[in-house]
Amino acid sequence: MKKRPIKVMFKMPMVIVFIFILIFFTPLAIYSPGENRNRGVVTAIGIDKADEQYEISLLTFIPTANQTYKEQNAVISGKGQSVAEAIYNAQIAMGRTIGLAHAKTTVVNEELLNEDVSVVVNYLSRVASLPENTVFVCTNKTAKEMLESSQELTSHLGLKLEQVIGYNAKHLYVTDTSLEAFYKGYYSKTKASLIGYLTLEEATEQEKEKSSVSGMNESSQGGGQSEAQGGGQGGNSGEKKHILNQGQAVLLKDGKKVALLSIEELNGINLLNTKSKDQIISIDNVEHNGNKLSMQYKIKNKKTLITTEFENGYPIYVAQLILGVELVEVSGMDDSLKINTEFSEVTEEVARKIEEEIKKQYTASIKILRENNADVIGVTKKFFIEHRKEFTKFVEQLDGIDDFLNYVTFKLNTIVQPD
Amino acid sequence: MSYFDTNKKIKELKKALNESVDFAYRYYKKDGQTIAFVFLKSIIDANLFSSAVYYPLQTFEQKITIENLQNDILKCLDIKLIKEKDIIKEILDGKLIILTNFSKEIISVDLLKFPARIPSEPPTSPVIQGPREGFVEDLQTNVTLIRRRLKTENLVFEVLRVGSQTQTKVCITYIKGIANKKLVKEVTKKIKEIEIDGILDSYYVLSFLEERPNSLFKQIGNQEKPDIIVAKMLEGKVAIIVDNSPIVLTVPFIFIEDLQNSNDYYTNHIYSSFVRIIRIFGLLVATIAPGFYLALQIYHYNILPLNFLITIADTTQGLPFTPFLEILFIFLLFQILYEVSLRLPSYLGLATSVVGALILGDTGVKAGLISPPGVIIVALSKIALYTIPEQASQVTVLQLIFIILGGSLGLVGIVSGMVYIINYLNNFDSYGTPYLAPYSPRIPQDLKDAILVKPIKDFRYRPKSFSPQKKERL
Amino acid sequence: MKQISVRQCGVLIVMCIFANKILLMPSLMYEQAKADSIFVLIVLFLLDLLLLPIFIKLKTTYPDKKLYDVLKDKLGVIITKIIYILMLLFFFFKCLLVFSITYVYFKQQIYQNEFIFIAFISFLPVINHAVVTGVRAFSRTIEMFYGIVLAGFIACLVISLFTPISNPVFFTSNGKMFFESLYNHVFSFGDFIFLFLIMDKIQIKKGQEKHLYTYSIIGMLLVITLFYLFYAKYQVTSFMHNNALADLLVFSVQFNAIGRLDIIAMITIMLITLFQMEIFNYAFCDCFLNIFPLLSKTYSVVVFDIIFAVLYYIFIGKYEIMVSSTMFWLPYLAIFINYILPIILLIIILLKRRRKHEKKTNKSNV
Repeated sequence: MKKRPIKVMFKMPMVIVFIFILIFFTPLAIYSPGENRNRGVVTAIGIDKADEQYEISLLTFIPTANQTYKEQNAVISGKGQSVAEAIYNAQIAMGRTIGLAHAKTTVVNEELLNEDVSVVVNYLSRVASLPENTVFVCTNKTAKEMLESSQELTSHLGLKLEQVIGYNAKHLYVTDTSLEAFYKGYYSKTKASLIGYLTLEEATEQEKEKSSVSGMNESSQGGGQSEAQGGGQGGNSGEKKHILNQGQAVLLKDGKKVALLSIEELNGINLLNTKSKDQIISIDNVEHNGNKLSMQYKIKNKKTLITTEFENGYPIYVAQLILGVELVEVSGMDDSLKINTEFSEVTEEVARKIEEEIKKQYTASIKILRENNADVIGVTKKFFIEHRKEFTKFVEQLDGIDDFLNYVTFKLNTIVQPD
Repeated sequence: MSYFDTNKKIKELKKALNESVDFAYRYYKKDGQTIAFVFLKSIIDANLFSSAVYYPLQTFEQKITIENLQNDILKCLDIKLIKEKDIIKEILDGKLIILTNFSKEIISVDLLKFPARIPSEPPTSPVIQGPREGFVEDLQTNVTLIRRRLKTENLVFEVLRVGSQTQTKVCITYIKGIANKKLVKEVTKKIKEIEIDGILDSYYVLSFLEERPNSLFKQIGNQEKPDIIVAKMLEGKVAIIVDNSPIVLTVPFIFIEDLQNSNDYYTNHIYSSFVRIIRIFGLLVATIAPGFYLALQIYHYNILPLNFLITIADTTQGLPFTPFLEILFIFLLFQILYEVSLRLPSYLGLATSVVGALILGDTGVKAGLISPPGVIIVALSKIALYTIPEQASQVTVLQLIFIILGGSLGLVGIVSGMVYIINYLNNFDSYGTPYLAPYSPRIPQDLKDAILVKPIKDFRYRPKSFSPQKKERL
Repeated sequence: MKQISVRQCGVLIVMCIFANKILLMPSLMYEQAKADSIFVLIVLFLLDLLLLPIFIKLKTTYPDKKLYDVLKDKLGVIITKIIYILMLLFFFFKCLLVFSITYVYFKQQIYQNEFIFIAFISFLPVINHAVVTGVRAFSRTIEMFYGIVLAGFIACLVISLFTPISNPVFFTSNGKMFFESLYNHVFSFGDFIFLFLIMDKIQIKKGQEKHLYTYSIIGMLLVITLFYLFYAKYQVTSFMHNNALADLLVFSVQFNAIGRLDIIAMITIMLITLFQMEIFNYAFCDCFLNIFPLLSKTYSVVVFDIIFAVLYYIFIGKYEIMVSSTMFWLPYLAIFINYILPIILLIIILLKRRRKHEKKTNKSNV
C-alpha cells in the first residue's frame, strides 16, 4: 500500500519540527553572542535639563574580564530634545543596545521638578522592560554628578545607591519612593506624591587631600543622620562630591515640587503610620531629683486608631495614638545617676512632654500639607471611603477637591506607655 | 534382536554435530547387552556421571531392561524418554543420552553443568542495607533465587525457546492469580512471535517487547536483583528471565519505577521520601539546566539577578566561543571523558579523572577557553544524571535536545519541549499501564509508593496502575 | 473508549477559567468599571457557573452521546452545523486572543528582539501534537502540570502581599459603566462550553458531579483573588499594567535586592497559555471534524495552523484591533454560545424528560 506523503510526514512531525529548528534557529543561536554580551546593562538612569535639552546619564555596567567592580561602571550620557532621543543618543555613544531591565534607580535633577515631572518620566513608564519599582529620587546637583558619585560609593562602602534609598524608604518615608509610587500619587484624586531627596555636597579641602593621598575615602563622622558617602570625580570639574543622605523628601503636587520636607517633618507625617518605628523624640527640662535632664526616647511600638466623621457638616479626623517608648539616652545627669533604669517607667511629666512634642511635630507637618494642598497621607481617600455621601456633598461646595484638606479638623490623642 | 546399531548411531551423531571436540561417548557391555552413553563433555558433570550413572549400572546384578534402568538404576536422576529426532537437541542442552541395543526407547538424563558465577552483589545496584544477592547468567540459578523467595504454588515459570540458532530459554515468570491474565497472554504472544537467529542477552528480547521501538524512552524494566523482581511480581508484573543474562526484565514498566530504589524500602520511609524528592529534582536539573542557562544567556538577560548577571558577563567576556558553542563544547568534553573513563581499565580511571577535571577543566578556564559558570552548570547537570542512573542514557540525549531548544528558542522552547515530552509520554501506555502513573492520571491509591513513600505496613493494596487480578495484598 | 476522569475534567475547567483573564483583562476592565470590575467578574462567573448544572443534566440524560448527535436529532443537520460553525469561530478567536495577549507579554518582558517565529515554532507544534494525541493524553498532561501551575499562580499572589497594599476603593462606577464592562468582556467567559463538546469523553461516576463544582470554584476564586490583589496593589495606576499576574510579582524597593523573580510568573503564564491553546485548538478541531466528518484530525490541525498564522500575520502589531474586536463584535457570538445555546440544550433536556415522564404515565395508565 502506498502511503500518502502527508501521512508519512505526520507520523513523525516532531522530528521534522526539530530539524526545522536545527536548520533555521540553531545557526542563529550559534552566532549569537547573547544578550548579556550585546547589551549595556544600565543600573541607574539620571535625567537633567541642560540648555533647553534633556541630558540623560546612564550608569552602565561594562563587562570586563577579571576586573574589579569599580572599573566596570561607566556613566554615559546623551542629549536630546526629548528623553527618548537623549537615550537614543546615549545608546549611540555607548555603541551597545541598552538594557533597562536592571535599572534600579532613576535620579532627576531638582530643576526638573519645577515643571510637571510626569512628562519627563513618561518615556520610562512606557518602556516595558524597565521594572516599575525602580527607585525614583531627586537631587540638588545634576543627576550626572550624582551617578558619578554613586559609582564611587559602590566601590568603597559596599553600599549601593538603592540600598541607601531602600533604607530611607523603609525607615523614613515608610513608602516606596519608586516610579510606581510616584504615579500612584500622581493619578490619585489629590495628585500629590512624595519622592526621596538626596543631597550632593562638595567635599571639604581636608577630605580632598586625604583622598588624593590615599586614593580612598573614609566615611566621616557625620551628624545624627545616617550618612553614606563617597567621593568621586565630579564630571567636568574634577571636584570631589559626597552623597549626603539627610533623609529628606520632596513633596510633589501635580508633578511639580512644592516643598522639601526635612526629616522632622517626615516624622510628623509618619506618626500615624504604624510601620514607621524607631523615631527618636527628645524632651528637655525633665525634673529629676532637682536636676534638669534632657532625654531621648525611642518609639518602639505604635498603635493607631483613626476615625473620621462629619460633625455639623464639617469633617473631623481623629487619630488615637498609643506609643510604646523606651529611654535611650539621658544627658545632664550628675555622677550619682548613671544608671538609667530609674527612668524605664514613663512618668506623668515625661508622658506629657512627649505628647506635646508629638503634637508639635504633627501640627507642623499638617500645616505643610495644608499649605500645599498635598494630601500624601490619604485623608481625602479615607473620608471618601467612609463617608461618601457627605464627602461628595461637602466637596461640591468647595472650589475643588484640593481645598478639602483645609477644612478638615485634625485631632490627636496620644497615650504614652513604656514599651 | 537389536533395536539400535549403537556404533552406527554414534557415528551419525558425531557427524551431525560436526565432529565437535567435546563430543564423547562411552559403552557399557554386559552379557551381550550394549549400553551407549552419548554426551558433550564440556557441559556434563563428569562426577555425577560416574557416581550416579556408571557405578549403579556396574553394581546392578539383574538383567538390565529399559524399565529397571529407569526405575532402579537411574532413579535419583532427572530422566525422561525422548524421541529419536530430539537426540541432538537434548545433547546440546547438556543431557546424557542412553542408547541400548535391547530397546527402542532412548533415555535422556540431565547432567548439565558448566562453569557459573556465584550470586554476588551486582555492580549496577548496590545496596547499603538489604540483600546483596544478584542474578547470574545461569537460568536455573536465577529460577532458584526467585523460588527461594516465593514459596507459593501459584508461582509459574513458563519456558519458551527463542532464537533459531541459539535456542535460548526464555522464562516467563509470574504469580498466578495476581498477574493480569491479559498481560501474561500478551507477553507470551510477543515472545513467541520473536523471529531472530540468536538471543545473547535479555536486551534482545527487550527490543521485541517494546510497544514503541523507535522511542527514546525506556519501556521495559530491567533488574539484576531477585528481591526487587519478587517485589515487582507481587505487584502484579510479569518477569522475563533470559538464559545467559543476569538482567531480568519486567513488564509493564512505568516511569516511577526508576525512581524507586531498593534502598528506599530498607530504610526509614521519611528519609526515602526525601531522597526521592532529591532524585526528581536531580532529574530535572540534569535535563534542563544547561539549556536553561543557555536560554538565560542568549535571550533573557533581564531575568538573571543583577549580581549573577555581572558574574556571568565578566567571566564570559573575551571567550572565543559564543555561549551556545561554549556549552556544547563543555557538554561534549564531559561526554568524551565519561566514555573514556567507562572503557578504560580501573587503574587508568584515576588518570583520566585527573586529566579531565584538573587539566582540561581548570586550565580551560584559566586559558580563557571556557567560563567557570558554564563548567559548573554542565558539570552539575552531568552529576545530577546519576541520581537516577537507570535513566542516564536517555536523559543525556534529552540534555542535548534541551541545549538546542534553549539556545535556539529560549525559555519558551524549553517549556514547550517539556510539555511536549510529557504529552508524548502520556500518550503511550506500556501494556495498558499509563506511563506517568500515578501522577497523570492521578491514582490516589498508588501514591503511597510514589515520590512520597509510606511505611511498608501501609501497602495494603497492589498498585492499581498494573491492574492486578487480586487487588488486596493479603 | 478513551475517557477522562472527573479530576482531569476539573483541571481542564480551571485552565479554561484562567484563559484571557490573568494578563490583560484586569487593566482593561479597570479603565471602564474601576475597582468594581471585581463585581463584573463575579457576575460573569456566576452566569458561567449556571452552565455547569445544565451540563451535568445533559450528561445524565445522554450519557454516551456526542453534543453533535444530540443537536442533530432535535434541530436537524443544517442548524447543528451552523451552531458548530459559530462555535468553531468562538474557539478560534479565543485561541487567537490568548495567543496575542501572551505574545505581547513575552515580547515586552522576555524577548526584546523579534519573537513571532519563535512563538509560532514553539507553541503550534506542541499544541497540535497534543490535539492529535487526543483529549485523554493532553488532559493527563495538564493534570501533571496542574500542581505546578497552581503553585506558581499562588506564589505570584502570595509574593504580592509583601508590597504595600490597601483595599481598592469600590463603588466608584455607575451602572452604565458596569453593564458596558459586562458586555465588553463577555467573550472572555463561557468557560464550560468546552465541556459540552467533549461530553461523550468524560466519565462521571455517581456522586462525582460535586468535584466539578469544586474545581470551578477554586479556579474562579483564584482569578477573583488575582483581580483583588492587583487592584489593591496598583490602585489608580492599574490601567498602566498590562500583565496582571506578572506585575503582581514586582517587588517594592525593600525587596529589590533579591532581583527579579519574574521567572515564576513567566513559567506559569507559559504553561497556562499552552494548555489553554491546547484546549481551544482541540475544541476547534472537534467542531471542524463535525462539520466536515470525512476529513482526518491531521487536516483539521493543519487548517487551524494555516488560518491562525495568516490571521495572526495580518493582526501583528495591531493587537489593539484584536482586543477591541473582542469587545465589539465578538460579544454577540459569545452571548449566543455562552447563554443561548445552553438554554436551547436545557429545553431539549426538559422536553426529553417530559416525554419520558409521559411515557411512564401512559404505561401506568395502560
